[in-house]
Amino acid sequence: MQIHRVVRDLVTTRRLGTLQAKKLKVLVDAKGELDVAVDPIGCKPGDFVISIGYSAARIAAGDPRVTTDLTIGGIIDHWSEEEWRR
Amino acid sequence: MKIFQVERTLVATARISQLENRRLLVVKERGGGRQVAVDPVGCKPGDWVIAVGSSAAKDAAGHKDYPSDLTIVGIIDYWEETPPATPARVKEFA
Repeated sequence: MQIHRVVRDLVTTRRLGTLQAKKLKVLVDAKGELDVAVDPIGCKPGDFVISIGYSAARIAAGDPRVTTDLTIGGIIDHWSEEEWRR
Repeated sequence: MKIFQVERTLVATARISQLENRRLLVVKERGGGRQVAVDPVGCKPGDWVIAVGSSAAKDAAGHKDYPSDLTIVGIIDYWEETPPATPARVKEFA
């Protein structure tokens, strides 16, 4: 799992059926690279989250048929910007 | 499997139910970046551990439907941090 920060919502109306109606979020990592993840929790922009990758992401999305390779697993209670960049 | 050093525990109260109440740790790869791993072993900060990735991580965390992509499978008894392997060092061990 990796530590990411939520940037904003991502809306894609025209999408593959296998992605179902899962909510998507734009995430950024400590190096500044962007990624898109399924959000089963309902995170706010600015939240530090744990993101699950590979095939575990499909289970984390609530249905193994969902075609995702990154899913948010939880919101980190205590985490700071300094700790992240260290 | 890869070698990591445990940095600290990670508290995430709002989490997906499939993650259950397993302990999560921030681990640092040798000379690499930080990741988060599931800890079914019981590690302390500073421990050197081995962790499995991809689909083995799910089984290692308990069952094949557990959504983990990195799970700690053991604590290394003796590990002294050494500089990254260079051809000269590899010869030294050979």
